[in-house]
Amino acid sequence: MIKTAKRFAEDAVIMVKKKNEKMNAIWLEVTGCSGNIISLLNSENPGLYNILTDMVNLTFNNTIMGAEGDFAFEKFLETLDTEFILLVDGAVSTKENGNYNIVANYKGKKITALDAVQMAGGKAKYVVAVGTCASYGGISAAKPNPSESKSVKEVLNCPVIKLPGCPCHPDWVVGTLAHLVSYGVPELDDEGRPILFYGVTIHDTCTRRGFFDKGIFAQKFGDEGCMIKIGCRGPVTKTDCPRRKWNGYVNWPIGDNTTCIGCAQPHFPDDMEPFVRY
Amino acid sequence: MSKTITIDPVTRISGFLEIKAKVKKDKIVKVNASGLLFRGFEKMLKGRSPLDAVYFTERICGICSTAHAMAATLALEDAMKISVSLNDSYIRDVMHGFEFVQNHLRHFYLLSMPSYVKISSINLVGEEQYRDYRLPEKLNKKIEEHYIKSIELSRLAHEGLATLGGKAPHSHGIFVGGVTVNIDAYKLEKVKSIIKNIKSFVSTIMREDVEIISKYYSDYFKKGKSYPNFMTFGIFDKYEDPDITYVKPGIMKDKIKYPLDSNKITEQIHYAWYKRDEASEEVDLSKSDAYTFIKAPRYSNLPMEVGPLARLIISGEYTRGHSCMDRNVARVLETEKILKIMENLLRRIEIKENNQKIYNIPEKASGVGLVDTTRGALGHWILIENKVINHYNIITPTVWNLSPKDESNIPGTIERALLGTEINNIKEPVEIGRIIRSFDPCVSCATHLIGSKGNPSVIEILV
Repeated sequence: MIKTAKRFAEDAVIMVKKKNEKMNAIWLEVTGCSGNIISLLNSENPGLYNILTDMVNLTFNNTIMGAEGDFAFEKFLETLDTEFILLVDGAVSTKENGNYNIVANYKGKKITALDAVQMAGGKAKYVVAVGTCASYGGISAAKPNPSESKSVKEVLNCPVIKLPGCPCHPDWVVGTLAHLVSYGVPELDDEGRPILFYGVTIHDTCTRRGFFDKGIFAQKFGDEGCMIKIGCRGPVTKTDCPRRKWNGYVNWPIGDNTTCIGCAQPHFPDDMEPFVRY
Repeated sequence: MSKTITIDPVTRISGFLEIKAKVKKDKIVKVNASGLLFRGFEKMLKGRSPLDAVYFTERICGICSTAHAMAATLALEDAMKISVSLNDSYIRDVMHGFEFVQNHLRHFYLLSMPSYVKISSINLVGEEQYRDYRLPEKLNKKIEEHYIKSIELSRLAHEGLATLGGKAPHSHGIFVGGVTVNIDAYKLEKVKSIIKNIKSFVSTIMREDVEIISKYYSDYFKKGKSYPNFMTFGIFDKYEDPDITYVKPGIMKDKIKYPLDSNKITEQIHYAWYKRDEASEEVDLSKSDAYTFIKAPRYSNLPMEVGPLARLIISGEYTRGHSCMDRNVARVLETEKILKIMENLLRRIEIKENNQKIYNIPEKASGVGLVDTTRGALGHWILIENKVINHYNIITPTVWNLSPKDESNIPGTIERALLGTEINNIKEPVEIGRIIRSFDPCVSCATHLIGSKGNPSVIEILV
């Protein structure tokens, strides 16, 4: 008996500790390619394991959760009655009342992406739009936008922190989550983007900026020189890609001799094309 | 008495999938597999710059974007009559190889293993919905540790891809004319080192893990059998040397091999939410009997299985069978095989600048890009008119595997694999998810095609 009581106490301590330390979070994939969750899997220090065991208590995510079917969607529903962060990956299809994208069939009721975002968005402590589709509609809303996809902000009446990027860099998500959990909402620009990651344009800190200043321009992919004349969108795109780089910080598109295609911009892809101008 | 089991979401896949299975006397007697996302890429691509297709179509899928970069690039090179140097081809294949490895590692450990191994240390993954976990505690703990270790290695596979291609997902380095990287000794060495690290894990730990799973879940060599029809568009098949060759395009039907003839590919929309007239095709959610956004492609009127198992069967390297567990085993064997090919490709790569040029877009041209990728046969078709995309068409691997029934009520490949499956406990139908995931479906990709036989200009895509 004593042993059992002790065990209970230990469990409670662990639970309280857990509760105090980790906020619940839902990562909801909707109308898109699920590329932002894949990008999150590429996070390094903290890697995915540490994110899930130390930072937040993720309760629902289609790509990696153990449960399936009603049991899985109950995890989503249970979380709505707690303090939680909603992360949305993808735009929100609204055509035919949202029926172009069904995310669950719960006890015989179809739950559209639109339903799920509105159910959770209204109750979340923070809403984070992860990636360009969630932030602005992105490629899912590219002309003529057959699924009538919208940004998360357009279907919710609450503040939305935007983390555009196609995909979103894992550091931008992890950094924003860390800030939310420990210090609250980070400083945002007028668009709702954290200034920490989206403060300056790519052109401002580009590794090829010296070429631009000297008037040396590339004519094609692979030439030394600034690529502005072949369509680089670095001058209008605000991210820290040049300094941060990608995937273990080894490279980035301009480092690979290609143009920035403005994938973190509000009107990507329509107003960022052509991606290369010959 | 029969009961219908609905699983939606089918999690641990890419995209949105619903399974409805009717069970009678403990056996599945009817299945509907429904893909539940429609974005309409074919309509979006019309009128855009042809060169933009490479980065645009990558965004169909976050887990296999490099595959679309490959197929789009091949289609454009075909249309623009551009040939690629051997060196660039090697580099490109190494990038595509990294995409295979990233996908297979993530599928095997993150998506597939939680159905067989308790991952108790992560709340999100360790939810105990089903109780059919059979590994002794020690072995379970070992594979759980490998699950955690695999996160680092699949991340590393994307680092290898980014070293050559800028970033991942949605990399930039595969492009018309070859690659954009100017390869140097440092990049080569970095990539070699990454491959070596991953290979040592795959050759020992991953192979051992799949053997353990095969032993404790040996009944899954009898479950999830599909049709004896397999197809590949070929991968690592452009070279003479056997040590960098995997599988040429081909069909295997009832253990007999045939050459691939893409003119034999057709599709049907009887059970898909589309209506068609001569000029166009539209979504029709009110259509009776329809249950999916995925169409029913057929090769010589037959449903086909595509993917790692299909490739190993067609290349003659796997003969054991075509069950759920055979698919899991094939995925691991293929990961090792591709890493070996990547090592051999790297030995041949010379330090040379890329071959990028200023491209003139033709007024009118058409091209086809057929290539096997992680999940199977992928095709891109492009028609250029007035220097812009007039038609763009994609047939993805998952559309083959996740096809609905056709006009003759012949079930799709995954539907067939589920039919007849014995459900041990109707309250815990763990068998269904295990069988579906052995195909590694990607519904984000599950596009459709239209069209009369083999005429790519009238085949369209809906994603």
